[in-house]
Amino acid sequence: MRDGSGPSSEADGLGTTPTRLLEFEEQTEVGGVYLQALMRRQLRLSLTIAATFVAFLVVQPLISTIWPQWSMIRLVGLPLPWVVLAVGSYPLLIWLGRVYVRRAEEVDDEFTDLLS
Amino acid sequence: MAAVSLAAGMFARRFSRTTSDFMVAARAVRPRVNASAISGEYLSAASFLGIAGLVMQYGYDVLWYPVGYAAGYLLLLLFIAGPLRRFGAYTIPDFAEGRFDSPRFRRLAVGLVLVIGFFYALPQVEAAGLTVQTASGLPYWVGVLVVVVVVVAAVSGGGMRGITLVQSLQFAVKIFAISLPAFLLLLHFGGPGLAFPPDGAAPHLPRATSYRVTKGEIWQLPGATTVAVSHPTEVRWTAGVLVRSPGAVTAEVSTPAAGQGLPASHFARTMSLRATTRIPKGVLVWEAPVTATLAAGQPAPYGSATPVSSDRSWEDPFGPLAGGSGHPLLFTYSLIMAILLGTIGLPHILVRFYTNPDAQASRRTALLVLVFLGAFYIWPPVYGALGRTLDPSLYGGNLTDSVVLLLPSVLGGLVGQLLLAVVSAGAFAAFTSTLSGLLVSLAGALGHDVYGRWLHPTASAPSRRRAFQAAAVLAGAISGGLGLLVGQFNISVLVGWAFAIAASSFFPLLVLGIWWPRLSTLGAAVGVSLGGSLATLAIATTMVATVSPPLELFLAHQSGLAVVLEQPAIVTVPLAFLAMITISLARPGAPPGVAAKMVQLHAPELLGLRRDYIPE
Repeated sequence: MRDGSGPSSEADGLGTTPTRLLEFEEQTEVGGVYLQALMRRQLRLSLTIAATFVAFLVVQPLISTIWPQWSMIRLVGLPLPWVVLAVGSYPLLIWLGRVYVRRAEEVDDEFTDLLS
Repeated sequence: MAAVSLAAGMFARRFSRTTSDFMVAARAVRPRVNASAISGEYLSAASFLGIAGLVMQYGYDVLWYPVGYAAGYLLLLLFIAGPLRRFGAYTIPDFAEGRFDSPRFRRLAVGLVLVIGFFYALPQVEAAGLTVQTASGLPYWVGVLVVVVVVVAAVSGGGMRGITLVQSLQFAVKIFAISLPAFLLLLHFGGPGLAFPPDGAAPHLPRATSYRVTKGEIWQLPGATTVAVSHPTEVRWTAGVLVRSPGAVTAEVSTPAAGQGLPASHFARTMSLRATTRIPKGVLVWEAPVTATLAAGQPAPYGSATPVSSDRSWEDPFGPLAGGSGHPLLFTYSLIMAILLGTIGLPHILVRFYTNPDAQASRRTALLVLVFLGAFYIWPPVYGALGRTLDPSLYGGNLTDSVVLLLPSVLGGLVGQLLLAVVSAGAFAAFTSTLSGLLVSLAGALGHDVYGRWLHPTASAPSRRRAFQAAAVLAGAISGGLGLLVGQFNISVLVGWAFAIAASSFFPLLVLGIWWPRLSTLGAAVGVSLGGSLATLAIATTMVATVSPPLELFLAHQSGLAVVLEQPAIVTVPLAFLAMITISLARPGAPPGVAAKMVQLHAPELLGLRRDYIPE
């Protein structure tokens, strides 16, 4: 999709034959293997992104336990823990969301190309 | 605001024709409009009013709420948004039945949708009553009535398409109403840094303040305070600290000598107040109604609702909220878990994603929602932090929940008045939009399921539409009626309950149901029931404890147990997952045709394999 080579082969008959698509649609064992591979890739992507943000959240109470003095540090007049949590979280969330959407669409597109 | 909502609902009515139109706006809503509608619906009274008030009361520990509310959408984007849209079902019950081929399971899911939905609707209705009371002085029930009537009219008039238009409009109102006053306040007073003085002392009144106190009202004095009274009166005073305050007069104090809770009747000293008296640090109970005036620079007295946080405990992590529980780390992690995972299980959130044409649009919509939510949630803590410095008199009357409404008026004059109107409109938009979304879900469950499937399976399309409208009226009436009854309940307790139940039941169901083909019907049903009922039981126990002294005393000695009962997610969510996985492995029985369902959930649309679960 990304370079314009869309999954149009089924319709115009120019590319590979859509056997793999048929296997997939009829849920043969081969089709099941394809689907498992797709799900595994998507799930791994989602878990990686989720783990990144969860780690960002989980680490902060740990820092507060081990090194409570970090709240004495000021950044633009605000205590550092406030800046990290109440301000820093949102750019990180949006950035992770963007990375995810781009990668997930790539995975879907590659899969579509593979089957068509 | 009410008039505009109603007009948009009526306008859209002319365009909604079929039931499908009515339910999910014919799946033809653009991502940007849809994303702002989702954000508009999601930003409830708890977000608009509640967070700022809680930040003012408890400080840093509350910041997990806005971040968790926003981050819940990241999880929704990662695990749910794409596949669930492909599956082509309207609601969680649709998914439950479609994935497991089990009408009985559907009934279980419908029951849970109704429970969570009504619990989430109650605080919205309650906030409506309180806002109208604060802004205009009209009685509580007037606000409840107005909001319920407006929302029911919009929902039954326009269905989902009308709601989509109204809600994207309401998002614009809310983001404007929350950001403009905060921005002007920051500009006028020179940045958020003023909320964090270097010494971290308890707040002092910036100007002379008069309080109208009632008989039995409790003040906590963070330091020696000079009080001028309008006429001579008596107070009871002790040097102790307030530890519990379910009802004003039965408040217990902990005295330095005894070190244990004592009822208010044991207060050490009766003091006579003449014109001006200096009262030492401690707790006092007013014996008669009087007007008490404190000069500028006096330490602000606290009412019974907020623990005094002098020193630095307000701005430091593990302050009065998490630190007060005795197990700050456990409390914080459990709180994060409930808020983060609960979002996905709220019944009115998912239906929105079916208004996207495909999974790609669904993901992009969720990403835009993240951007919008980030732009909103940065503001409520600003009010809480500024309120502590600029208007600490709100602590005294237990008015911190109204800080968003009342703070802009410190700018004074016409600007203050205009800003009050702006934030009131924003608050009104907040609870009407969330309530609309909930009513669509509740009416959908009642009309679509209870009527359309069980009572009258052969009903025609027009009669189904009438059923949806009737169900909207019914659901509105129930929420309004319950809202009148729960006037004294704590808003955040109800919201927390809804999130914890959703996180412990629907979250594991959706995640495992979508990503784990071997999940069996029995495993899923047991997991959902177990998680949902344990979470409900835990929070119910906490609520009973507030009116049952023996139970409360027991929990006070079992602080670990008390934390888990108050914030059950850290136990109930893993338990629900565990039950689903072990039962599915021990008695394998994936529902028939699960492979086809996995294809539907995960195969990209371009392959052309998609069939909607519900025929259009």
